[in-house]
Amino acid sequence: MDFKDYYATLGVERAATEDDVRKAYRRLARKYHPDVSKEADAEARMRDLNEAYDVLRDKEKRAAYDSLADRVARGGDPQGDFQPPPGWDQGFEFHRGPGAGPADHADFSDFFSSVFGAGQRRGATRHNARVRGEDHHAAIEITLEDALGGTEREISLQSVEPDAEGRFARRTRTLQVKIPPGVHPGQYIRLAGQGMPGSGGAAAGDLYLEVRIAPHPRYRIEGRDLYMNLPVTPTEAALGARVQVPTPSGGVVEVSVPAKARGGMKLRLKDRGFPGKPPGHLYLLLEIALPPADSDAAQAAYRQLAQAVPFNPRSHLGV
Amino acid sequence: MHHVSVTTTVVSASAPIDAGELAHACGADIGWIVQLVEFGIVQAPATAAPPEQWRFHSTDLQRALDARRLERDFGMDLDSAALVLDLRAELRRLRDLLRAHGLHDGR
Repeated sequence: MDFKDYYATLGVERAATEDDVRKAYRRLARKYHPDVSKEADAEARMRDLNEAYDVLRDKEKRAAYDSLADRVARGGDPQGDFQPPPGWDQGFEFHRGPGAGPADHADFSDFFSSVFGAGQRRGATRHNARVRGEDHHAAIEITLEDALGGTEREISLQSVEPDAEGRFARRTRTLQVKIPPGVHPGQYIRLAGQGMPGSGGAAAGDLYLEVRIAPHPRYRIEGRDLYMNLPVTPTEAALGARVQVPTPSGGVVEVSVPAKARGGMKLRLKDRGFPGKPPGHLYLLLEIALPPADSDAAQAAYRQLAQAVPFNPRSHLGV
Repeated sequence: MHHVSVTTTVVSASAPIDAGELAHACGADIGWIVQLVEFGIVQAPATAAPPEQWRFHSTDLQRALDARRLERDFGMDLDSAALVLDLRAELRRLRDLLRAHGLHDGR
């Protein structure tokens, strides 16, 4: 595991004030926000920024992190195989106040959970009150086929939990997650009881997984609708034809291309998009594909067509 | 390492979450959810009904979580957060539409 330099991530000095940290975060968050950023790794950068900011804006966590960084500096370069020294964080507890917002830690790095997990867990269990554990949030990316047909995925979660002697240790849990057919992007899968454990005997929080769908080579998603380019020949477009089309659920259907069809024309296959109320549709965008003129016969046929059908596609340009 | 099988539900019309669950997921309280409804960030099916009877879907959960993050990370008021979320939803819709028509720049 790499030691993470959160100050470098935010581009601030160790002596930075809270205000400096906040300003640096906001400036970089605008730069790497996945909705506006042109950088290829925007999403990963944003995750790193959020993690660094989670630590550096919090006085307790920042003090603990600084003391760990000092120990690492005294012990020389950890050379990428960093492990926090046992018991280094004994004096620390990390509290999440009511304004702390969603616990996004499930998406944070191994470094974060190994460094801050135990302290956070201690902070949470110190209450004697019955308090339900926090919900956790993460994202899961699946293929379009799996979203439509349902699937089962294995996910690994890092958590820090007390053992029989009350010592906190990092634990990896592997969950088999059933993803039911018909989930769409942006929907949340809720895993009951897989968030933070509760305190005072209260129930654990839940884990919410946001569904994301990996880009598909053939289909594109817009809301509940799917779009696909459907190449047709000039003959099929001009005269109309019945052509075979693969559907996202794995089948093949026959579709009528109307006569006098044009490139860009949209054909709708009703209810063949994402299921739901109402279900989405599958749209086929016609794309005219020219037969290659790579033989004498093909070239002769093109010339013959030009003679038989004098046609100026630029007449509307006045030329 | 041990393997656990867990119950999964998709937050949707057939398995919505209530206001308390939405608040808990966002690390907030029900009063905050009432504000989200007032600002139109999430949709309460009938605002006349008491918050205990409100039910929410995935879109609401996503918008509520994002509103909470905007509030926390950018110190935004909920009315500005509402505007940001609406603009972003429109941006994503248009971007999806462009991509659907094969016109997107790849971002």
